[in-house]
Amino acid sequence: MDYFFQQLINGLTLGGVYALVALGYTMVYGIIQLINFAHGEIFAAGGYLGVILLSYMASQGLMDSHPWFGLAFALILAMGYCAMLAMAVEKVAYKPLRQSSRLSVLLSALGMSIFLQNGLMLTQGVYDKAYPTEFTHGGFEWLGVRVSYMQIGILAVTALLLVLLNTLVFKTRIGKAMRATAQDKVMSALVGIHSDKVISTTFAIGAALAAAAGIMVGLYYGSVRYDMGFVPGIKAFAAAVLGGIGNITGAMIGGLIIGMVEILAAAYIPAGGEYKDVFAFVILIGVLYFMPTGIMGENVDDTRV
Amino acid sequence: MSAKRVILTLVAMCLMAGTATAATLKIGSLSPLTGSYAADGNDIANGTRAAIAAIEKEGGIPGFDKIELFAEDSACDPRQAVAAANKLVNEKVVGVVGAYCSSATIPASETLAEADIPMLTPASTSEKVTERGLPYMFRVCGRDDDQSIAAMKFIKDVLKAKTIFIVDDKTTYSQGLADNVEKLANKEGLKVIAHDHVNQGDKDFSAVLTKIKDAKPDVLYMSLQNSASGALMLIQAKRAGVTAAIIGQDAVYHPQLMEIAKDAAEGMYLTFGYIDEETPSYKKFLAAYEKFGKPGAYSAYAYDAAYSLLSAIKAAKSTDPAKIKAELIKGEMQGASKKIKFQANGESGSNYIIRVVKDGKFANFWDPQTGKKY
Repeated sequence: MDYFFQQLINGLTLGGVYALVALGYTMVYGIIQLINFAHGEIFAAGGYLGVILLSYMASQGLMDSHPWFGLAFALILAMGYCAMLAMAVEKVAYKPLRQSSRLSVLLSALGMSIFLQNGLMLTQGVYDKAYPTEFTHGGFEWLGVRVSYMQIGILAVTALLLVLLNTLVFKTRIGKAMRATAQDKVMSALVGIHSDKVISTTFAIGAALAAAAGIMVGLYYGSVRYDMGFVPGIKAFAAAVLGGIGNITGAMIGGLIIGMVEILAAAYIPAGGEYKDVFAFVILIGVLYFMPTGIMGENVDDTRV
Repeated sequence: MSAKRVILTLVAMCLMAGTATAATLKIGSLSPLTGSYAADGNDIANGTRAAIAAIEKEGGIPGFDKIELFAEDSACDPRQAVAAANKLVNEKVVGVVGAYCSSATIPASETLAEADIPMLTPASTSEKVTERGLPYMFRVCGRDDDQSIAAMKFIKDVLKAKTIFIVDDKTTYSQGLADNVEKLANKEGLKVIAHDHVNQGDKDFSAVLTKIKDAKPDVLYMSLQNSASGALMLIQAKRAGVTAAIIGQDAVYHPQLMEIAKDAAEGMYLTFGYIDEETPSYKKFLAAYEKFGKPGAYSAYAYDAAYSLLSAIKAAKSTDPAKIKAELIKGEMQGASKKIKFQANGESGSNYIIRVVKDGKFANFWDPQTGKKY
C-alpha cells in the first residue's frame, strides 16, 4: 500500500507542475481564444532565470545563510521577468493580429515559440545547466512513504498560487474586467474596460505562474535545458483541454490527472514507463470524445477567464 | 607570337603545374556538434583536429601540402548522419572519423561504404557497427558485448549481487547493452527483477525509481545515452532512497554527470576503456589537445582514430582504401587511449575497466582482466 501512496505523491508533484503551466494556457485561451504555443518557452525562460539568480546567490554564500529568502527572491524576480517577457510577446506577435483570423495568430504563436527556444539556445548554450541543489535533498519518511521537502514545496506553492489566482479573478476589479472581456470584448469595451490592458495583464499572470513552475522544475530535477519547455508545454496544453479549456479549476484538475496517469501507468502497467505519454493522451482523447467540453466543462457563463 | 606572350604563357603553365602538385588531403569527421550530445561530439571533432596538428608537426604526409578537415554534424540522428555522410562523399574525403551514437554511425557507414571511404569510429560501441561485413569499417573503442561482460564480472565477483534491476532508454546503444547484461545475468544465475524502459529526454523517473526502491535489488544497471539524463536519475534515486549499487557505462562517462548530480553521483560505478595517462603517446596527445581545453571522454579515441588513419595513408603512400586497410591491419600502434591492433573485421579490442565517482572525479576502481583493485 505504501508503494501506491509513494507513486501517488510522485504523480501529484508532476501534476502540480503541469497544472501551473496549464493555467497560463487556459487563461489566454479564455480571453482571446488563442492557444499560446510560446507559453512552454516562457516556462523555460523562468527556469533559466532561476538558475542564473540562484547560482549567483550561491556563489555569494547567500544560499547558505538565507536559503528561503534566496528562493523567494529568485521566484519573485523570475515571475516578474517572465510576466514582462510575455507582455512583450503579446505586444509584438499577437496584438497586431487582433483583427485577423485566428489561424494567423496561431501561426504567429508557433513562430514565437521557435524564436524564443532558439534565442535561449543561442544565449545560454546547448548544454544542460545545473541548478545549485544542495538544499533540495532533504525529506522525511512517514508510514513507509518518502516525501521530500521539494515535493511539499511544489505542492504548497502550486496551491498557494491557485488560491491567489482565484481571489484575483473572482474578488478583484481587474478580475471582473478579465471575466467581462472574456465574455464579450466589444461590449466590455463599450462600458469602459480597456480590453488591451486586460489582455496584457492576463498574459502577464499566466507567464508568472509558468516562471514559478520553471524554477520549481529546475530545483526538483536539478537542471534546465533550452528545449525543456516543449514537452511540458504540450502536456500542460492537454491538461488545459482535459479540464475544460478556459476553466481555471479545470486546468488544475487536468494537470493533476495527467501527472497522476503518467506516473501510475509507469508504476502498474508492464512496459508502462515507455508508453506513459501514450496513456496520458489516450485519456485526453477519451474525455474529449465523451465530454467534448472537458471534465469541468468549458465555461460559457461569467466564470470564464 | 611575341616574346612577351611566350614568357607569359610559360609563367602561367608553371603556376598551373604548381597548383597541381599542391594537393590537399581531405578527411572528414562525423559527430553530434549540436543537441544533447554536443559535448561528446565536439570532443571528437577536436580530437581529430589535434591528430591532424600532430601529424603536420611531424612533417605531414608526403605528396600533400596540407590536411583539411571537414567536421560535419551528425546530431546523433540517423537521417542527418546520412545527409552529412553524403556531403563528405561529395567533398571526396579519403577517410572519416565518427560517428558518436551507434544509431547514427550505422546508417552513415552504409553511405560511406558505397563510396569505399574508410570509417573509423572512436565511440560507437554497438556490436552491429562491425558485424555487417563492411570492408572499411573500423572501431577504436571497445564493444558493448565486452563492456557488458566486464560489468557482469564486476557485479558477480566484487559486488556479489544476487538481484539486478535494469533500466534503459531504448536507443540502439543503450538497449543493446541492457539486453546483453540481462542475458548474462540470466546465464550467471542472477535474478533479473525487471528490465524497464524510459524515454530519451524524460525528466521524471520517479515512477520507475519507486519501483526499484520497493524491489530492493542489489544492483541497478542504468543504461542511458546521455550524461545529463543519468545525472537526473541519480538525483532522483538518492531522493527516492534507492540503496542499490548503481552501474552506468561509457555514454554517461562525462564530467557533466557530476556537475549536475553533485553528491548524488558519489559511489556510482561506470564501465569505461582503460586509459594509461602515463604513456608518452598520451602525453603527446595532451600537448596537441591543449588548445581545445580539457579532454572529454572520447577525445583520445578520436585522436587515435585520426592518427591511425593518417599514419596508414602515409605508410601506404596512397589514398586507395584497400591499401589503407592493409596498412591499418599490418601495424600495431601505442595510441593515446590504448594499444591499437586492428583485426580484419575492423575491431581493435576492448579493455574495459570499472571506474567509480569519488570526490567529484572519475577514479580507477577494478580491472576485470586481472581481478585487481586499483
